[in-house]
Amino acid sequence: MIVKANAGTVTNFEVLDLLNSKGASKDTTRVMGLKDKVSSSEYKVYDYLMETAASTQTRESVTKFSDKCKDFKLVKAEILNIINLRPSSDVELTPIIEKPDEREIDTEGILELVQQLLPPLPTLESEQEETENAEQEETAV
Amino acid sequence: MFCLSELEDTVRVPPDFLKLPLEVAIKKVLQKLFLDKVLSIGLCVSIYDIKSAKGGFVLPGDGAPTYKVVFIIVVFRPFVGEVIAARFKESDSNGLRLTLGFFEDIYVPAPLIPRPNRCEPDPYNRNQMRWVWIFEEQEYIIDDSYQINFRVENISYPPVPTERGEEDAKLFAPMVITGTIDDDGLGPVSWWEGCSERNNEDDDT
Repeated sequence: MIVKANAGTVTNFEVLDLLNSKGASKDTTRVMGLKDKVSSSEYKVYDYLMETAASTQTRESVTKFSDKCKDFKLVKAEILNIINLRPSSDVELTPIIEKPDEREIDTEGILELVQQLLPPLPTLESEQEETENAEQEETAV
Repeated sequence: MFCLSELEDTVRVPPDFLKLPLEVAIKKVLQKLFLDKVLSIGLCVSIYDIKSAKGGFVLPGDGAPTYKVVFIIVVFRPFVGEVIAARFKESDSNGLRLTLGFFEDIYVPAPLIPRPNRCEPDPYNRNQMRWVWIFEEQEYIIDDSYQINFRVENISYPPVPTERGEEDAKLFAPMVITGTIDDDGLGPVSWWEGCSERNNEDDDT
């Protein structure tokens, strides 16, 4: 029975943080049932999130960024999108922000804020390594 | 793309879990019941917390205690208009299929692929069709070499089929996301690397 369908939206970072606190990063062999705290479906979410901006973010940077976003007239959904995707160019912001000119939104300022406060995306090399390792391990499971 | 939801349920804890601390035992049962399952609110990804557990009465004829539990789960439920980074999974004449690893039923139907485009048989994979976007006489292939950003257009929860369809019917997907890649900044990320000048030309689309 659903008490509250929406008890709060969370950023990808917060979900990754939750999985890490359950021990997802430590159990590198991923033997099922050994620790039994992180299930294989949770690992799939963990693997996905490690390839996104969330993997390099910290609680401090995400909180600071959301606070500063209040000065830029963005709605909550847009702030969430920006934190999850970490756009680094104007064209990447385009699908996220609706009618920026009408709302007089300072997209340059937002991009600068992203550069300043949010850590850069994980590099492609480490991404490839991680997916390779994860694929090897998942077949073992 | 994730949010928290509060649920209440009656949970039966099997006797062999009773050697564990109560919270751990209840969490294990909840994980089995809810993890990786699609509810009306989305796909349950993780158990966040247990708010309360009451009861613990053993019903007649049963060896296991039953608790009334109020708990919070992490649900994957993107909102319409959200931009998500996904990977290419496969494509056919109807459109593309993208995956997030833990969720694979994301479809981009042909009308939501930027035009002009063409669909041709994939030279690398006999069973697949390949989509190619044609822009300013350059051809941009859509395949699995890059992450693909898409925007959520719609989420639907098809009802569970009661009758068996044809023999080769696709596996039933309880939650289907329809996405679009027909906008600036969407589609494979390689299309937009280092091209903020081109954005000004596309402004009237």
